[in-house]
Amino acid sequence: MQLVLSWPIRLFVVAVLVFSLFVDGAGYVYRFANHYPLQGNVPGLPPNFGGWQLYFHKGLDLAGGTHIDYSLTNFPAGQSRADVQQRTIAVINKRVNALNVSEPEIRGAGSNYDRITVDLAGVNAAQAQKTIGAVSKLVYTKWVADAKATGGPQPGYKPAFTGLTGDDIQSASAAIDSTGTSWVVNVSFTSGGGTRFDQLTTANVNACPGDPGTSQTANCPQRHLAIWLDLTQKDIDNWEDPSYVAKVSQPYDPGCLAAQTADTVCGKFLTDPITLTEIAGGNATISGAFTQQSAQDLATGINSGSLPVDLVALDVTQVSATLGAESVKLSLAAGLLGLAIVVLFMIIYYRMPGLLASLALLFYAGAVLAVFKVVPVTLTLAGITGFILSVGMAVDANVLIFERFKEEVRAGRTITAAVDAAVRRAWPAIRDSNTSTFITCVILGFVGPSVVKGFAITLAIGVLASLVSSIVVTHNLLAIVLTGSSFRRPALLGVDRVRSV
Amino acid sequence: MSEVSDATPQQQVADMIEDGKAQQATVAVREPRVRRLNIIGRRNWFFLLSLVIIIPGIVSMWHNHFLLGIDFAGGTEFTVTFADKPDLATVERAVAAENANGSVIQTANGGYIIRYPPLGAAQQTNMQTDLQNRLGAMNVQQILEVGGTIAGETIFYSILAVVIASIAILALLAIRFRNVPGGWRAGFQFGGSALAALLHDVFVLTGVFSILGTVFNSRLGQIDAFFVTAVLTVVGFSVHDTIVVFDRIRENLRVSQRLSFEQVVNLSIMQTAARSIITSFTVVLVLAAIFIAGGATLQGLALALLIGIISGTYSSIFNAAPLLVVWRRLQPLR
Repeated sequence: MQLVLSWPIRLFVVAVLVFSLFVDGAGYVYRFANHYPLQGNVPGLPPNFGGWQLYFHKGLDLAGGTHIDYSLTNFPAGQSRADVQQRTIAVINKRVNALNVSEPEIRGAGSNYDRITVDLAGVNAAQAQKTIGAVSKLVYTKWVADAKATGGPQPGYKPAFTGLTGDDIQSASAAIDSTGTSWVVNVSFTSGGGTRFDQLTTANVNACPGDPGTSQTANCPQRHLAIWLDLTQKDIDNWEDPSYVAKVSQPYDPGCLAAQTADTVCGKFLTDPITLTEIAGGNATISGAFTQQSAQDLATGINSGSLPVDLVALDVTQVSATLGAESVKLSLAAGLLGLAIVVLFMIIYYRMPGLLASLALLFYAGAVLAVFKVVPVTLTLAGITGFILSVGMAVDANVLIFERFKEEVRAGRTITAAVDAAVRRAWPAIRDSNTSTFITCVILGFVGPSVVKGFAITLAIGVLASLVSSIVVTHNLLAIVLTGSSFRRPALLGVDRVRSV
Repeated sequence: MSEVSDATPQQQVADMIEDGKAQQATVAVREPRVRRLNIIGRRNWFFLLSLVIIIPGIVSMWHNHFLLGIDFAGGTEFTVTFADKPDLATVERAVAAENANGSVIQTANGGYIIRYPPLGAAQQTNMQTDLQNRLGAMNVQQILEVGGTIAGETIFYSILAVVIASIAILALLAIRFRNVPGGWRAGFQFGGSALAALLHDVFVLTGVFSILGTVFNSRLGQIDAFFVTAVLTVVGFSVHDTIVVFDRIRENLRVSQRLSFEQVVNLSIMQTAARSIITSFTVVLVLAAIFIAGGATLQGLALALLIGIISGTYSSIFNAAPLLVVWRRLQPLR
């Protein structure tokens, strides 16, 4: 027990206390430091302390939003499933970005790379499914002369469908080129698509009108093949309207397209590379002044024309933001009510030790909430329940110690000796009770269904933290308080009588 | 007299003597009244009380099974409120008229939960439009859709968790009772009684929920992943309470040779009852707070934990140790 009562331990407890207060009150610390009012909206929240964003990460059931589990089917043959899953995630990411969701979570799952889980805060289920499942059609166009067309990537020319579409593309990926210095996008075609692409490129290289001795690098619109998403014949028919062309030639905008009405014109343009040589064999490389980011964006853009797999929604959960806010309010009320009742009970039943245990409990609650912010633990309704439950269990150890303490006093020990003996002898029981709860949590956390994992995690964190708070904090507080002789009165300690030595 | 494991047996005996001396010396000490209760003598009444709760539960489970929550049953569930506040009968008529196998449950705050077989995304939208056409403006608070695959997986992982937890608890019991005085047969009696108390809690909990869900048709009695969580949490909590009582019995057997087995058991129950009851009581207080203030979503979980923890405390005091006495009578070690 010397160790528990030593000053390094006390210093540690104080450090944890200060840190927890700082983390729990991070928002207020920030407001105070920047002279903002303590109420209302201020810019810059949640505060960012050296790259650390300190706030409670709310699960969808608290924040409101949509959760979908997708099953991936029809994997393309001969490709790594992990790659396909990653590519699908990238495409979904791209599509979801258009919804302007804060922190969308798109994770791969499944034993055989055959699951993707999507969490979108503040989006309803119908909108989410429409956006993610949107089928955009990728088309290749060549350029034909049209004097009246003045805008677009190639003024004086308008696009014409080549018959080559996204269906002919197997995949696109960003890569470093053979020189090892610049980023390129590799596109591989299906066998039918490869043949058609070969014909197109052959026709292109041979044609720069009025320049029969076509040089390798000669640049004319006829040598370009543009890639668009969702470009329609109607768009091409409108090519002579400059304002229309200006809009349609903007980079591909899936958000606009998802919300498209008959009158809006959305960006549909991906890229317009020049063809330098005939490309046979079904593998093309688009080079240019790419950065890693822009190359990956283009690859994702080309891929997003079609998902490499079929998505089947296995389950969909939509929680409205009002219900989420309501849940937060209710669980906060339940937590405070629970805390208040436990504190009241402990003080009435155990008097001063109960008061000290209640202080330790507040320390415990503050420290655990800080852990939730720092880790961060995503809080769900079940998770909060686990935390509230752990408040009830946290006083367990104190009850064991205090009951023991009464017994020791009854057995005729002095107060100080009784405290020491009580803490020492209650320890095995405390250890065991927390172990059995902890085992349950670990089992639930690893093999339980996903909805209960939040519960298991918060309860486990709570159980661990309660060990520290009830043993270390309560014991130290007791030891400090009991140095004053005026506190050693039976009435204060809740015991029948004390031996005065 | 103690839950000590870090003290040597000699120390424990010494404590016992010191304890006795102190009590003789101070006649004025008020013994808590609870100490005089003869639990072992009235054991049959306690067994009867348990059976009165468990048997209807088993009958209900056998006959009516359970009300399955959506994560086990699969389907699509809308939680909605209507601007016009129609009554339950109106909503039920409207849903029945859809011919989509929908069912309606009223929630506490005047809203409704309408459950259908699994619907696709487009069907969901159609269904919402249809409901609005029939019942006026509707505010959708929550949509849950669980397909058969996920429902199957949830059931699978729940069962897996239960199986692994059972193995872990059996291992825990084996470790804790490996060196009971009296050899492996005594250990078997200790472990078996603890296991029986544990099964008691599981049966009370599942039985009460079966009755709640199927006889009273209450949403509180739904069996879902949270219910499984509650069962496992309760089992962890209860098995430990039992272990504490049994640890005391084991130690008292060592230090007090004069007392009969029954007296030792009764003494041990009395010595540990206060801590068992109070530790459970604080948890019960918190759960009651969640049940009252935590809103509809948490009520089922809170209720399951509440019933389970009360049952767990009851069984470890009034069933586990008395059962040990009965067993020891039927199968004496000497």
